[in-house]
Amino acid sequence: MDMSFATQALTSEFCVKKRGKLTSVVHDVPKKIDAWVATLKLKTMGIRIDTLTAAQKKYLTSWEEGT
Amino acid sequence: MKCDIANRGLAGTGKRRIEWADNDMPVLQEVRRRFSKQKPLRGLRMSACLHITAETANLARALKAGGADIVLCASNPLSTQDDVSAALVKHYGIAVFARKGEDTKTFYKHVHAVLAHKPNITMDDGADLVTTILRNKKYAGLGENILGSMEETTTGVIRLRAMEKDGILRFPVIAVNDADTKHLFDNRYGTGQSTIDGIIRATDILLAGKNVVVAGYGWCGRGVAMRARGMGAHTIVTEVDPIRALEAAMDGFSVMPMIEAAKIGDLFVTLTGDKEVIRTEHFRAMKNGAMVCNSGHFDVEIDIPALKKLAKSVRKGVRAFVDEYVINKGKSIFLLG
Repeated sequence: MDMSFATQALTSEFCVKKRGKLTSVVHDVPKKIDAWVATLKLKTMGIRIDTLTAAQKKYLTSWEEGT
Repeated sequence: MKCDIANRGLAGTGKRRIEWADNDMPVLQEVRRRFSKQKPLRGLRMSACLHITAETANLARALKAGGADIVLCASNPLSTQDDVSAALVKHYGIAVFARKGEDTKTFYKHVHAVLAHKPNITMDDGADLVTTILRNKKYAGLGENILGSMEETTTGVIRLRAMEKDGILRFPVIAVNDADTKHLFDNRYGTGQSTIDGIIRATDILLAGKNVVVAGYGWCGRGVAMRARGMGAHTIVTEVDPIRALEAAMDGFSVMPMIEAAKIGDLFVTLTGDKEVIRTEHFRAMKNGAMVCNSGHFDVEIDIPALKKLAKSVRKGVRAFVDEYVINKGKSIFLLG
């Protein structure tokens, strides 16, 4: 429940920041909140992960290379 | 402070359990630390209808630290921890309207009590607050004040999407359940572990070698199937969705229709979100001593009225949380919960 309740608290804050801007439909939790929660959970578990190199990032957003 | 709880005398135990749960909630602690400095929820009125547990108490603490004026009621009368309610009221200054085992009338009295708080933000675990607001004319003015409503669980999100489709939502809703950090973890590992834990506490059975039938291969079903297998059970999955069924099969589970599984299952767990998943025809096919339980949100997945109708007699409480339905001389079915 740690992560889902952290998300509950952070989405409450999100609703306040977006006051008057959200329409009356079912919205998803912003990806940024999801990613922040997962990153912090990993950190508290003492787990580190890799980051993409600049070349890798470019590769993932391109279509010319590697075919 | 206005509140309705069972026993203030339990506050000490409740506080210790809330603090214990807090130790295992480092992300929420981090949010609480930041909220208490920045007060992003200052001046907001919040009403939440959630399971009243030690974990929820820590969420309420974080929201209060953020400046919110929050009141709580229970989304499920059976999960309420009376010591936690007492501690919230006595030690954390948070109003609670919940008593373990409260009847339907009291449940709704408590829902109305938290709505009388005139919230700017609501939190639901099963859409009870939103449904009550939209159904009652007396809350017509409330919708305009609501900046957003959070929904914690799959069943609630399904209902809210149905409301959206019918064009009756009057304020924004956030499907917290659908966040990856929620359903991939709470539903799979949380429900997976707690369902197995509940079954073992209720029955004391050895799962190894038993035929365990898991109805539904959503995130909760996956968790239960995975953990049942880990305990050495022969695990069978039933599904209605071809993709999910295929996933279950390729994850290595036996997949078959419930009517086939009914003949061989020792223990049945439903986690589908739909009603009458186990019904008369299945009870008829079951072996003597079969155990059935529901781990879905609402108490509708097992057709209990049909089981009562089939039974010659019912022996309540053969163990705590276990009722025996005597079908005939040589056959009983045990209902957990």
